[in-house]
Amino acid sequence: MPAQQVVYVERGALLQEAIEAAGIPLALPCGGQGRCGRCIVVVQEGQVRRRSVARLTPQEVEQGYALACQTLVEGDLVVYVPPQEERIVRLEVGLAAEKEAPEVVVCEHEQAPWVAKCHLKVDPPSLADNTTDFERLQRELVRQHGITGLVASLPIMRKLAGALRAEDWEVTAVVEKGTWASSQGPPRLVDIRPGDTTEHTLGLAIDIGTTTNVVYLVDLQSKALLGRASAYNGQISCGEDVISRIIYSQRPGGLEHLQQLVLNTLNGLIDELLAAHGASPEDVYFATVAGNPTMIHLFLGLDPRHIRLEPHIPTVNHPPPVRAGELGLRIHPEATVDCLPGVGAYVGADITAGVLRSRMSEEEPITLFIDVGTNGELVLGNKDWLISCACSAGPAFEGSGVVSGMRATVGAIQEVWINPQTFEPTYETIGNAPPKGICGSGMISLLGEMFITGVIDKSGHVNRSLDTPRVREGPGGGEYVVAWAAETEDKKRDIVLTEVDIQNLLRAKAAIYAGMNVLATSVGLELEDIERILIGGAFGKYIDIEKAIEIGLLPDMPWDRFAYLGNTSVQGAYLCLLCPEHRAMVREIASKMTYLELSADNSFMNAFTSALFLPHTDLEQFPSVREKLRNVERLGGS
Amino acid sequence: MGLSGLAIYKLLPKTNCKECGFPTCLAFAMKLAARQVELSACPYVSDEAKAVLDAASAPPIRLVKVGPEERKVEVGNETVLFRHEKTFYHPPGFFYRLKDDEPADAFAARLEAVANYGVERVGIELKADGIALQSAAGSADAFGERAAQVVSAGLPLVLIADDPQVMEAGLKAAQGMAPLIYAANAENWETMASLAAQYGAPLAVFGEGLETLAELTEKIKGKGVEDMVLDPGTRGWSDSLAAFTQLRRLAIKKNYRPLGYPIIAFPGEGTEDELEEALLAGQYVAKYAGFIVMDHFDPASLYPLLTLRQNIYTDPQKPIQVSPGLYEIGKPTPESPLLVTTNFSLTYFSVAGEVEGSGIPAWLLVADSEGMSVLTAWAAGKFDAERIAKAVKSMGVAEKVAHRKIIIPGYVSSISGELEDELPDWEILVGPREAINIPSFLKQFAA
Amino acid sequence: MAASVPSVQEKWTGKVREVTLGALPADGGTRGRTVTVGGENTLPFLHFEGEVPHRPAIAIEIWDHPPEDWSPILLEAWGDVLQDVGAWAKKAEEVGADLIALTLDSAHPEKGNTSGEQARATVRKVLEATTLPLIVYGPGQVDKDNEVLVAVAEEAAGERVALGNCEEGNYRTIVAAALAHGHLVIGKTPIDVNLAKQLNILISDMRLDLDRILMDPTTGALGYGLEYTYSVMERLKLAALMGDSMTQQPMIVTTGFEAWRAKEARVNEGVPAEWGDWTKRSLLWETITTMALLEAGANIVVMRHPEAVKKIRQVIDKLMTKA
Repeated sequence: MPAQQVVYVERGALLQEAIEAAGIPLALPCGGQGRCGRCIVVVQEGQVRRRSVARLTPQEVEQGYALACQTLVEGDLVVYVPPQEERIVRLEVGLAAEKEAPEVVVCEHEQAPWVAKCHLKVDPPSLADNTTDFERLQRELVRQHGITGLVASLPIMRKLAGALRAEDWEVTAVVEKGTWASSQGPPRLVDIRPGDTTEHTLGLAIDIGTTTNVVYLVDLQSKALLGRASAYNGQISCGEDVISRIIYSQRPGGLEHLQQLVLNTLNGLIDELLAAHGASPEDVYFATVAGNPTMIHLFLGLDPRHIRLEPHIPTVNHPPPVRAGELGLRIHPEATVDCLPGVGAYVGADITAGVLRSRMSEEEPITLFIDVGTNGELVLGNKDWLISCACSAGPAFEGSGVVSGMRATVGAIQEVWINPQTFEPTYETIGNAPPKGICGSGMISLLGEMFITGVIDKSGHVNRSLDTPRVREGPGGGEYVVAWAAETEDKKRDIVLTEVDIQNLLRAKAAIYAGMNVLATSVGLELEDIERILIGGAFGKYIDIEKAIEIGLLPDMPWDRFAYLGNTSVQGAYLCLLCPEHRAMVREIASKMTYLELSADNSFMNAFTSALFLPHTDLEQFPSVREKLRNVERLGGS
Repeated sequence: MGLSGLAIYKLLPKTNCKECGFPTCLAFAMKLAARQVELSACPYVSDEAKAVLDAASAPPIRLVKVGPEERKVEVGNETVLFRHEKTFYHPPGFFYRLKDDEPADAFAARLEAVANYGVERVGIELKADGIALQSAAGSADAFGERAAQVVSAGLPLVLIADDPQVMEAGLKAAQGMAPLIYAANAENWETMASLAAQYGAPLAVFGEGLETLAELTEKIKGKGVEDMVLDPGTRGWSDSLAAFTQLRRLAIKKNYRPLGYPIIAFPGEGTEDELEEALLAGQYVAKYAGFIVMDHFDPASLYPLLTLRQNIYTDPQKPIQVSPGLYEIGKPTPESPLLVTTNFSLTYFSVAGEVEGSGIPAWLLVADSEGMSVLTAWAAGKFDAERIAKAVKSMGVAEKVAHRKIIIPGYVSSISGELEDELPDWEILVGPREAINIPSFLKQFAA
Repeated sequence: MAASVPSVQEKWTGKVREVTLGALPADGGTRGRTVTVGGENTLPFLHFEGEVPHRPAIAIEIWDHPPEDWSPILLEAWGDVLQDVGAWAKKAEEVGADLIALTLDSAHPEKGNTSGEQARATVRKVLEATTLPLIVYGPGQVDKDNEVLVAVAEEAAGERVALGNCEEGNYRTIVAAALAHGHLVIGKTPIDVNLAKQLNILISDMRLDLDRILMDPTTGALGYGLEYTYSVMERLKLAALMGDSMTQQPMIVTTGFEAWRAKEARVNEGVPAEWGDWTKRSLLWETITTMALLEAGANIVVMRHPEAVKKIRQVIDKLMTKA
């Protein structure tokens, strides 16, 4: 901790000047404009005048907190300057603009999962009691577990005699009490094992994303989430988006190849999870799968071509339960693999699962749920009604299609501030590592700063007349340098955002915002009528609501109306894995969700071009951004 | 004013039974709100809901039909003031005025000219709609005779006569042809109304000032005549514009039933020459007339007017498209580069603009992607190798371009293989993804 | 008793901005008169509910070199004056133009590639030949537009010339020239309400006063996209009246240029007999296009044929007459 220092400044000087005079390093990422809140200090004694208390709560002001760049010295003071790390930590926790995803969702229902293990002690047969093995098992299940009418497939029947006798008529029967297709049974014998093996009753919740696949390993008895694993979808080598995959699937052997690729990815993740928990594939008796319709089609080996072509008809919205063995998923071959129900060609099980997870369909408030992935899907509604649409946002926010874009992993720039006088940036990377690229959150942050500080105009064109080497003419038009090659991890290339990148980002955000508008108007509502906005998707750990509003990705509403839920698709699959009640709910969601086809809607095009501007052609819709622009102008920015 | 989808949904059973043919009650409600489906498709709607919805969905401007089924002119049923709000549904009919005292030869010749006029424009046959026969001789026989002549030509008729006796002669001759009676006024309305009722013909009502007009239509409605057409008595440019605008607003915005009928207009009255008549007819096409009675027949004015009518009555809900074809940007030579793009207007404008801005003349082949942008069209299979090849083959590209190199948008680079198969003589080059990069691409290409 | 018909007068909250072209000697220019457009607080010509303080203005388009590819009908109508831009300007004033719209076509790289100096001379000549305010268009090629319009802005400093066209990707240079030398700019966008509004915002973000911006929504001729322009203009006008500040710029449309590009006006060989007399049809092509867009809200129409101009002047007279 630095020693106490005494400096003299004139009355009316900024605290920031006093701190500089004391030789204490104080970063001013936003250029000393009171925008970022990073120069926070504590005035312990004495009189100051605060020009601005942006990012400070009244309580904090009460406690003496002040922004060094916005606070004037009125007399003798004692000021505490916290170290940099402390300031950042305080901001992340304290300010509500950044929404972090909760760790895990919990199922509060009492019901047991459909698949359960039944430990049984069976009376051995005798000449007097010569009931067959299977009938004996049935009888004991009724007696000990109240399960009637058990059925079994031939492969399991073949194991029966041996299993019953291996540990002296003590067995564990794995019973599936029902499926969505026949929820009342009959119960099916998934496996029979000698002895008591009830400690391992595992299930999987799977999300097949176009870009990323995620698997949750779950203990079906305790409902505990044992582990999570994720990886890129192996199909990426055959195209980045669903359309490319559909086109690939039309090649000879293409469909089979794609199916195999995704199975390989999933099997790899499963192996990894099972190894970490000392379990075997045979211990996994149930899997639920969510994903967009194309991903589900490819996973099941269904031809997806008509999803692409008008009038966009999937083979099936709710595929029947399949056996893992049939499919090639490396878990117990008799395990049911259950794909959740979808709604239409571009709104699938990932969205119904997301809605289930969001709980919006159980509650009164009018809620907008946004899933930002390679496609942006939106659902609006409440417990009475649901309407959804898909807008092709493109993968820009996932770090794809942008020159310096990357996924939200170590070394990704996730937050940027630009000094409006010098146009020098200050950035922060995940893991505080040297930068490798920019992730989705970073792009939102960077775009917002470039806009607010006038590096780009409202249409996203770089202002070439600025006096800074950061702005230059690149191979494809104007660009802004966020990090010079020397600062980067591989020291090879400058990290830039180009005009073409900006257009991609603008299109992505415009598609989502336009989708919201059209969805709301389609049922006669205004955006202001939306009481809360729940966000799922691939932004990484958090999304900065303030910046997202600044660029016009999210509507200008109080920050407390937003919540970030993380990957909602896999969480919904997880809930469905755990209890039949959620299973029924997701079917209900799918059946009541109305799908709005945007390509058939001219108003979408209009809303889209209207949103293809920063923050929006109609600035009136973004009063907080208008205010911010005025402030920057007042404080001498460009 | 119509109800919103959500408001209608609240009146429906909310069972999502799918029997109406839509996946959810909300989807059905939204179709109802857009007036694209009938409420009767729902077997379970309650009587109470039915009453509310029926009242909300009655058309604010009555649909009026004139003429025989094969050439009928149907106007009315409009729902908006501005075409961009939805669309204008029923284009106005052009009726040419003939007087019953014209010499027989001249009459027959003009009748024939109107009856036979037909010309195709963008695949649609454009025709003159009918004859407005005016009694000038004051003779019932002459009127009836000439009306019969128009009937035998199969054309829809507007009958113009003040004298009910003369009018009846015309109606007799045109039985079953649903001619429009012009017009009932403050003096003759009772007899005209009974003629309209007797002959099942729609009735035009003349009244100077909207109050007078509304009063008359109410009285006539009281006599059992439902199909009416309005003439508020204005004839010139600004007074007609004001009156017709008010009529349309009253119907659409106020749902004011006494004036919820189509309008008839006479551009030949109150103008100085043929050219001005045609121009005023143009105003009437854009601003709310249902029947336009013209005094001068000339293909040179009819053709532009029919074109205008076609333009104004095009459904604006469809995306803005440019016509597919081979466009010259700058003054290209057979050696100039050839680029291909889609026919979505904004795509075309941005590509053409960048090519033009590059200063390098080029050929721009616009393929029919049904008005979709490059990526959307590609995603929907509307801008694939097959369609591009079809454009190359059908637009006479090979005759105008000497080389065999075609530049495709970078976003569809994946189709280059298939395109090579479709166009074996051509070299497929992948251009930039974004239009903004076209100039530098072309400069490199030309170098 | 008369029926009581409800009132349908709209209470619009906004109005179109007034924009004045040309400057009198007292205001630093040399024009004999100025032309003000805009200011209306109702839809086109609806005198019963609002004020239309200024009639729409007619500009006649002239070129800085003889326009060889124009329709023979136009060439004949103008005759010898086509050879001399000054004479042409004078003649245009005589036949009833309110404004002269000069196109510096010869500056196009493929049509002579004439320089900024030449543009200065041309503009000087036109300023001397006519007392009317000017609109000056570049040749429509970004680099040359910037070059010649900057030269023109300097040469005609203080004259409140409308410089065109600014486009989304190229507006800074022209706006800067207008700012420096007291001119107006025309922002042109491709048939889209949002793009039109966006360009107005971008231009005004450079601190050019809004009463110095005209917007050109891109003209579609009769039969060639007229309906798109028509609806975009109606939407812009409605937005302006509803108080959306950034849509309140007066609108300028180039109906002469577009109508005379149409096959119907350009040629007479091998066309159907049903198209009728060529001259009459052509005149109607230009006048109907113009009339329709006036009724959609045009404040300045840029026309070509002297007879068409006369007819439209007559129509505007009548539309401006209160009922």
